Formats: sequence, C-alpha cells, structure tokens
Amino acid sequence: MTPFPRMTRRQWLALSAAGALAAPASGWFGQVASAAAATRRRSCILLWMSGGPTQTDTFDMKPDHANGGPFRPLLTTVPGLQFSQHLPRLAMQAEHLAILRSMSTQEGDHQRATFKMRTGYLPQGPIHYPTLGSMLSKELSDGASPLPSFISVAPYRFLSPAAFGPGFLGPEYAPLIVGDGTPVPVPAGGLADYSQGLRVQNLQQSEGINRVRADARLGLLDRLESDFGAQRPDVPALSHRSVYRQAVRMMRSESVSAFNLDDEPESLRDDYGRNRFGQGCLLARRLVERGVPFVEVSLNGVDGQVQLGWDTHQNNFDTVKSLSSTLDSGWATLLGDLHLRGLLESTLVIWMGEFGRTPTINSNQGRDHFPKAWTTVLAGGGIRGGQAVGRTSADGNEVADRPISTGDLLATACGALGVDAQRQNMSNVGRPIRLVDPEASVIEGVLG
Amino acid sequence: MPRFLALLPLLLCAMATPVQADDVTDLAARIDRLIASRMSTETVIAAPSADDAEFLRRAYLDLGGRIPPSTRVRKFLADKNPRKRREVVDQLLDSSLYVVQFSNVWRKALLPETAADPQARVLVPGFEGWLRQKLAEDTSYAAMVREIVTVPLTPTGTPQQQLQLRNRPSPLAFYQAKQIKPENLAASTARTFLGIRIECAQCHDHPFDSWKQGEFWSFAAFFAGMQRQGQGGFLAAISEVAERRELKIPGTDTSVGPVYLDGSKPPPGETRGARQLLADWMITASNPYFSRAAVNRLWAHQFGIGLVDPPDDFTADNPPSHPEVLDLLATEFAGHGFDVRFILRVLCATDAYRRTSRLTDPSQGDPRLFSRMAVKGLSPEQIFDSLAQATGYIATAADRQLAIPGRPNSPRNEFLELFRDESSRPTQQRTTILQALALMNGSFIAEATSLDRSRTLAAVADFPALGTADRIEALYLASLGRRPRPGEQTRLVAYVDGGGASKDSRQALADVFWALLNSSEFLLNH
Repeated sequence: MTPFPRMTRRQWLALSAAGALAAPASGWFGQVASAAAATRRRSCILLWMSGGPTQTDTFDMKPDHANGGPFRPLLTTVPGLQFSQHLPRLAMQAEHLAILRSMSTQEGDHQRATFKMRTGYLPQGPIHYPTLGSMLSKELSDGASPLPSFISVAPYRFLSPAAFGPGFLGPEYAPLIVGDGTPVPVPAGGLADYSQGLRVQNLQQSEGINRVRADARLGLLDRLESDFGAQRPDVPALSHRSVYRQAVRMMRSESVSAFNLDDEPESLRDDYGRNRFGQGCLLARRLVERGVPFVEVSLNGVDGQVQLGWDTHQNNFDTVKSLSSTLDSGWATLLGDLHLRGLLESTLVIWMGEFGRTPTINSNQGRDHFPKAWTTVLAGGGIRGGQAVGRTSADGNEVADRPISTGDLLATACGALGVDAQRQNMSNVGRPIRLVDPEASVIEGVLG
Repeated sequence: MPRFLALLPLLLCAMATPVQADDVTDLAARIDRLIASRMSTETVIAAPSADDAEFLRRAYLDLGGRIPPSTRVRKFLADKNPRKRREVVDQLLDSSLYVVQFSNVWRKALLPETAADPQARVLVPGFEGWLRQKLAEDTSYAAMVREIVTVPLTPTGTPQQQLQLRNRPSPLAFYQAKQIKPENLAASTARTFLGIRIECAQCHDHPFDSWKQGEFWSFAAFFAGMQRQGQGGFLAAISEVAERRELKIPGTDTSVGPVYLDGSKPPPGETRGARQLLADWMITASNPYFSRAAVNRLWAHQFGIGLVDPPDDFTADNPPSHPEVLDLLATEFAGHGFDVRFILRVLCATDAYRRTSRLTDPSQGDPRLFSRMAVKGLSPEQIFDSLAQATGYIATAADRQLAIPGRPNSPRNEFLELFRDESSRPTQQRTTILQALALMNGSFIAEATSLDRSRTLAAVADFPALGTADRIEALYLASLGRRPRPGEQTRLVAYVDGGGASKDSRQALADVFWALLNSSEFLLNH
C-alpha cells in the first residue's frame, strides 16, 4: 500500500522535488539519466554586466562613423572579426566566441530589462519567474556534486532583486551567494583581499567543536529529525533534513576547497586580475571543475565597486576603458584556463547585460540605454566560435540583419547545454511555465 | 441605501455588546461540521486533537509570533481548567505580542514589496508603526482599510524631509510602495482587499466579468489624480489633483473615467474624492469580496493554506475548497463589525485548528481537507524571536532598528536577511544551505550553546539540586515547548551522564541544546 494515495499532482511534485520520492523517481527516469551520462555533463558560466555594456566600444566597432568614438578596432585571431583595442587578450581567444551583434529587445529600463534578460519573461502580475541560473542548474544538476548547483559571485541585486532569485522554483534552487555585493575593504597601504571576500560564511565548525563532538551533535540531531519527520512527511520538514545533510556534506567535502583561491599559483591569479571579477572568474573555473553546473560572476564596477558599472551616461570612454581591462583579463584567462583543462567543450560562457548603449554619444561623453540593436556573446561548449552573427547598420542605430530576441538567445543557450527549452515547471499560480518562451527559436548557425 | 440598512443592525449589535462566548463556540462548531462532512464524503479520517503542548506552541507562534516561555508551558500543562485553550488564545490576542505579530502579518500582506526589494524597506518603520497603533487601538479591519484607501495626500516636501518623516506612523507607504502609479494601485487594491487579480490577462472567466483593458484602466481611474513629485525613489513626495477623474490608456488615445469592478459608476455630480467613493463601494457588508478576501487571509495564516489558495487568487478556475465555510466566515466577519480578533478566536476554537500535525492515517494526504494540521515554515521574525526566547537572548537597540540594505548590522537583522523568503508559501517553505550553515556553525548559536555566554543553558547547567533528567526537561521546555518523551529522556540522560563526546556532562548538555535548536521541530510551526 502506498503511504499517500490521495496526493495531488502538485503535492507529488513538491515532495519529489524535496527528495522524498527519490527511489521511484530514479526508477522512472533512469533511462533518461543513463542516456545523458553518455555525454559529459555540461556547465554554464554567466558573466553578467550590470548596467548594460556598450556594444560600440567592445564588440561592434564603428570606426568609420562619428558614432564610433575614440576607441580603435583591433584585429583578432579570426580573419575579419574585430574587437575594441582594449580587449587584446580576448582578441586572441576569438575562435571560441560567437558575437551576437543583432540583439533586438524592447526594454530600456534597468529593472524591467534586467528581469527580462535574466528570466526570459517580463515581470507579470503574481507569477514569480525564476532566474536563469535557478532554471538551468535545476536541469543540469545530477546531484553528484557536494557543492550547490548554482553559485552567484557578487551579484548587484538591489535594482531588480526578483531577477536574481529562484522565484516559483523555491529556495532549493536559490543561488549560494558569495562576495555578497558589499565593497571589499582595502587595508591601509595593502591590497584588497578578494579571496576572503569570496568565501562561504559559517563553513567551519564553531570554535572548540572538534570533529568527534560535531558528529555526536549531528547524531543527537538526526535522532530528533527521524522522530519528528517520520510522522510529518511535509515539505518544510523534509527539506530541513535534506539541506542539513547537504550542508554537512559540503562542509566536509574535498570540493569545498574550491573556495580556497590561495591554492592557485600567484601568476595565474595575477592573470585573472586581482579584482573581484577576475578572482570570481577563477572561482567559477574551480567550481565548474568540481561539477557545479551554473556559476554567475557579475562585473559591477572597477576596483570592487558595487554598482551599475556599465551604466555609462557620463564619461563613457574612460569608464569603459578600465572596465574592459578588468573584463579582458578575467574572461580571456577563464577561456584559456578552461581550454587547457579540457573543460571548455563542456562549458558554455554567456556574456550579457540588460541592454546595450546608444551608438550616438551624448553631450556628457556618455552613451544612454539602448535595447534596439546591441550585442551579447556566447562562447565555449556547444558554440561555433570565431564568428559574428547578425549585423547593425553603419551608424549602429538599427539591426540590419537577423534580429535576435531575448528568447532566441536563451533558447540557443539551452541548445548549447543540451537542455530542452520547452521543459515546463509548475509555477506559484498553478500554471506550468516553459523554460523559454515557445515563440523563440534557436539562432541559426551558432550551435556547433 | 439598502446596504446601509443591512449594515446598521449588525454594527449596533457589535458595538453594544462584547463578543458573546457562544458566538465563538457556535461558529467554530458549524465550521467543523462542514469540514467533517467533506472529509466523510472523501472517506478521510481526521487526526486526533493535538496535546496541550503542541497546541500552546502553535497558538503562540501564530498569534504571538514566538514560542511560549517555559514557565508558561509548565503552567499550561498543569492547568486543569477545561477552557484553558480558549483562555490562552484570549490572553494572546490581548497582549502586545499579538500587536507586533499581526503588524508583521498585515505589513507583508499590504506591502509585499518590502520583502522583495531592500530599497522599499525604508517604508517599513512608518507603516508598521501605524499598524501597531491601529491594532493596539483595536481598530476594525474595515476602518483600517478605509484609512489606507482614503489617506489625505498633501505634498510633504523633499525626499530629505520625507526621510526624516519616514518613521512617523502613516499608511502612506501603501502608495509609495506602488510607486504612486494608478495601474499599480488599482492592481494591488483589487488583489489585496478583494482577492481579485485584475492585472492578470489570463482571467477570462472572472466572477465579476471578463476583464478587458478598458475595465482595468477604468478601475485605475479612481487613482487618476495621484502625482509623484520629482525623484526620490520610494520616498518621492505625493500630491493629488482631487478633481482629476480621467485616465489615458497608455498607447491609445482613449481616456476613461472611474468604474467599479461590478460595472457600476459613481453617481454623476458626486463631489467627494474618487478614493472616498472607492472606499464606500469596497467596504460594505454587501460587497462579498471584501470580507471573503480578509477571512481567507486569516484562515491561510492559521492553517498555512487558504480556503482559496493561493490566498489572493479568487478566480473562477481556482475555487475554494470549502465554499460554505468561506461564506459563513465572511458573513460573520461583517456581522461582527469586521473584528479580526473575533475570527481568530473562532479559528483557534475549531477542531480543525486543534488537530495534531502528525499523519495518523494514510487518508490524510490532501492538505486542503484539513484532516491534520499542516507543517509551516516560520517567518524570519518568528525564527529569531523564538531563538531569542529559547536562549534568553536580550535584544539590543540595534536589533530594533531597520537594517541598512546589504549591510546587516545586528543579530536580528542578520537573521531577517538570511531567512527572507518572498517566494514560497509556508507549507512549501524550504531551508537553504546558508541558513543551515548559520544555524549549525554561526556565532549566534555558538553563543547560545556556550556554557559561559548562554543565559538559558548556563541557568540550566548551573542550577544546583537538579538531576540530569530535570536539566534535559528544562532544555526541552525552553526550546520545543514540551517535555521529553520517556525514550528521549532515557537516551539523553545516558548521553549527558556519560559526558558525551567531550567527556564532560555540562558540555554534553550544551550538545543536547545545540541539537534541539537545530531541529525541525524547533524551527517549524507544526
């Protein structure tokens, strides 16, 4: 006799998500799991550019037009493909990058645009859409890693907090956040300690509690839990027990050393850049290496500033020059490092912000919000690199070829990761929601 | 006119006599009969009544926002009065704990933005201060809502001046949190006070009517006069052009005037403010949606699941589990002058609320039949305040102040930040890894389980003339609000007397307290 004959579909989903029905679920889905095991499991790293990065001064140069600004184009390792002069190391990695130059979206407000790019949907009434990392880590995780499936480095969440959370998928799919967005303190005359800022809080047992005593405590706790939980098969109790196990497993695992950036050679740490973004990229590699399926690293400003760093309404060129230098070392070193370790083929890297910036330069030497024609980049696993996709007009104001929507970008990312973009999750209003808008289509020629 | 005639005797009755004890018992019994009849149709066997300890802890958490002190537990368990459950509910509802807990509950319902958006949290102190005032004065729900909907809007100066005024008790935050936009105000007014989601384009089969763009904007036109003064985020000053009644539908050339959700219009020549007219229409005993939305929210608070669930989604394709119970409660709520505490007294008096949360029969799988109590996650405030209660922590001035966004600055604020969960319902609440790590290894629990620094633990460990069994019982009462069961008692006495892992029985007592504070029995409402 089954213990819960009257369970509704929604309850069943909730319980199976909490791990209560692990045994029958693995029986039913065993076939799918073994089919997937044939290929190496994929990971995704999202490089999130808070504030909306300028395309004209990075990947869609207009050197022959007044809109082009002072930056000069630089030849890359791919014939015909040019980047900004301030991205020299990425230029050497161009064979891995697909530059999507014809992003065409509607939202020009930070809050709405951030929500749209990071969830695939517009904020709409009562539905709590989950962020990309929650959705994709749910699909990509096989439960084998002792580390959480979604780790977010230094997110700047304050303008659009809902765009950074798990929404209706629930806290189980929430990111583990490190470097929680506060500025890194710089000791007088010293260097900011970015590795300290990227550690997980409370990972060590309290002072004076050794392993034997911790085990004794957990033993006492386990007894309380089994007494209580045996008669209350409810989500909060089940989740409490499974998350405690997960936390202990993580605390005691070898994998948690991923957060010890000090283990890396000084020279490699220098290459990544001694700043939060650079060290965050290094952390991302160490996490992916240990089986974490989704890591996001935000670039919010230079020198550890936490703000909408790319929102360059004034003084665009000085700001973008220094942001580019941070971006270039972190991202290019990441690609090289992943490649060297044989991880790049199975790791998709997404570069995007909430929108692009106006090709025209305003009177403050700035560029304003521009969702009409802008650039994102896909790189690495599953992507045919070394190409620019789509084209903007000579002045950069229009998409001249192959407009790409938010949904198209996300559907393509799903394709590269081997995730079915039309998979549905049950939402908080009891209506199933697809990972990506069904009207979106995979961008032609981008998947490799 | 008819609606006033209908209301008059009810209001008089509510004012003239205090709530009759029998009203509570009678209504609770009628509800239980309806719940029981549905269970019998579905051949569900109800779980037995919770024991006194289980009931007391639940009532304290739901009505008072924290677990009971161990002295209260001892007294309650020893009390032979058969009416003691009723009495403790009355005491809680008269206490300041209720005022604090329900100002939290209403604030989350009325200003959901403050859970999701750290910037909106500057609005919390003023709004909670106002709610506390109203609850302490025992203002009726209808009067409270009327005050929110009709609050006078006079320009109040620059954002700097607003910032200084922000702690002054006022319901103005309701407007500021909606960013003073007519469309946001219309959508949240309908959702919060009437349970109607007019913003949702999917609501094709709506009880009032099918929703069209024009109807939405006609309802929003009640807020047409609202104006935001300059910049300043959530603290921008507000003014109102009282005579403005027309709103232009964005992206069209059409302007619309105010129309109620039932299709009626304010009479022509009506000179009172648009928001006054809206409040008049909304807050009457004859508007069933107003009462239903309120009692359903109270039901959801007490049971973890609404009769209509999610609690603010009264659409035709989301029917109530027990329509008769909802109607009955709604009628009685209006009949008792929209007295929230009356409804809470009734709910706490039902067998349904008094059932154990233990699953005692396989037929109890569907939580919407209320055959056993659901297990609910705690709010961040409930978690911290219960930890403080259990460990003897004394709140500091910093604990009572608002956290600066992104920079937790007191133990309480750190917990509120860590346990914030805007996404899920109490019965679906899940623990996160960071929460588990903080509870296992964080400094607050480390202090609470330190023999030198913990008030509760030190008192229990150092009190002379107590046997080990008494000490363990004291820790159980302080944390779980119950005595240990015989098996637990024996096992833990043996652990402590043996000195545990550190071969020191006082340290072993600390281990027991650590396990109790980390248990789901402590961290959940059940």
